Amino acid sequence: MTKYVKKNKTKLMRMWRFIERFGQRSVGIVVESLEGLGKAVVMTAEALAYILKGDIPLKSTVIQMVEVGWCSTPIIILTSFFTGMVLALQVGTATANLFNEPVYVGTVTGFSLVVELGPVLTAIVVAGRVGAAITAELGTMKVTEQLDALYTLGTSPVKFLAVSRFVACFFMLPTLTVIANIIGVYGGMVLTTTSWDVPSSVYWSQCLDFMTVRTFLHGFIKSFFFALIIVIVACHKGFNTKDGAEGVGKATTSSVMSSMVLILISDYFLTSLLVAIKIK
Amino acid sequence: MIKIKNVCKSFGDKHVLRGVNFEVRDGETVVIIGSSGVGKSILLKTIVGLIKPDDGSVKIDDIDITKSSSFDLHETQKKMGYVFQEAALFDSLSIFENVAFGLRTLTSHTDKEIEQKVAQCLSMVGLEKVEHLKPSDLSGGMKKRVGLARAVAYQPSYILYDEPTTGLDPIMADVISDLIINLKKYLHVTSIVVTHDMKSAYKIADRIVMLYNGGIIFNGALEEAQNTKNEYVKQFVEGSRRGPILTDRTFGMDKI
Repeated sequence: MTKYVKKNKTKLMRMWRFIERFGQRSVGIVVESLEGLGKAVVMTAEALAYILKGDIPLKSTVIQMVEVGWCSTPIIILTSFFTGMVLALQVGTATANLFNEPVYVGTVTGFSLVVELGPVLTAIVVAGRVGAAITAELGTMKVTEQLDALYTLGTSPVKFLAVSRFVACFFMLPTLTVIANIIGVYGGMVLTTTSWDVPSSVYWSQCLDFMTVRTFLHGFIKSFFFALIIVIVACHKGFNTKDGAEGVGKATTSSVMSSMVLILISDYFLTSLLVAIKIK
Repeated sequence: MIKIKNVCKSFGDKHVLRGVNFEVRDGETVVIIGSSGVGKSILLKTIVGLIKPDDGSVKIDDIDITKSSSFDLHETQKKMGYVFQEAALFDSLSIFENVAFGLRTLTSHTDKEIEQKVAQCLSMVGLEKVEHLKPSDLSGGMKKRVGLARAVAYQPSYILYDEPTTGLDPIMADVISDLIINLKKYLHVTSIVVTHDMKSAYKIADRIVMLYNGGIIFNGALEEAQNTKNEYVKQFVEGSRRGPILTDRTFGMDKI
């Protein structure tokens, strides 16, 4: 009997310890996440305050604009061209199966690209290319005490490093989105005219008949929010990197993953909002 | 004047500083000594405002930087120069831009004056014709000297040195020691130096402070440190493994 009680007591103790540890860990994760969110909000507020005051380092902003915009253009052209072609191929195949001929290829390709795929795919490519680079650079500066050195030289790292990147991403991502839209639609046309023997004039008229300024604005407005997500996550992860080279790697991975997930989740809510206010 | 009162700092369960108290008078050079990992660099970073203490106050010219706003903290930091252990040069900038950084952000010198000052500071630390190079082109010792030139270029009232002579050859270490003495002599700079280099410490110190087990176990003039009967200080300055300061290394050695 005593042995049975003892055995159960030990089991209960173990279970209690597990619950205790699980509770501590969960609270720790929540506190850490809230702390991270708070730091990101403070950093964003500081960066926006500098931008609104016009305290923008011009030279480094131009350098960042070239890095974000110009250097991302080839990969954006390549990805959006093939996305347009794949979309046209899929739509053409599906409608050919249903109606024995490819119909509405221009309409569906154009609409999908301008409203959804253009802004989202561009944001994901830029998150992978530019977001990772920003986090890796700022993270390396953090672990080699260069950010501390900036403080001791009377300069805020947010002003010196984040402001130029905020401005560059905010203006260059929407520009890249417009390029992606044009190239994607053009890619769709190339495939439609070559594979489905549809005249380009038909493709363009299908594409433009259903396209309004509001349709264009729907995707364009979303790209500004995506730009903010990428730059806030990248700078925040970079500024809070720790544990040397390994930490830089982890921060960079986390930055890209967080940006991508946040882009996809926020896309749903932004779309709902824009549809609700009739920008569609 | 710098007044450090009851400064405590912990990282998780590790209590690094447990109530540190000392003062640094204007124009004085205080050398902080202590075993590796005892919290000397943490103390230095707390003084410059890079680390916020859990408790206590750090007053620079009667302004408590632990309680001041970020604007006031920035204003106070402008009076201070900091020489980092690993130099912490900005990778993306040239050596000229690194040394000129403080001059551009903290002073109103013209471009021509900045050029002259940069050349002068670099020559002071024994470097010439390196202005156009990037930090990655320099050796560890050269980077350290550029870091020193960057910290002194804008002539701050207080300079904090984190192991300024570590990694330098003995001759260059002596040059750096002389530079610290000259900054005090001619510009009345107040300095706090963290070092393990006792030769340099004896040359530059007005006062020596020893940190052990999170607190200060010795705070006295140079002569006092040289003639002290404090077993901890004696063991450290003599560099002996036999004594009251226990380290993992001595534990390991004793088992052999």
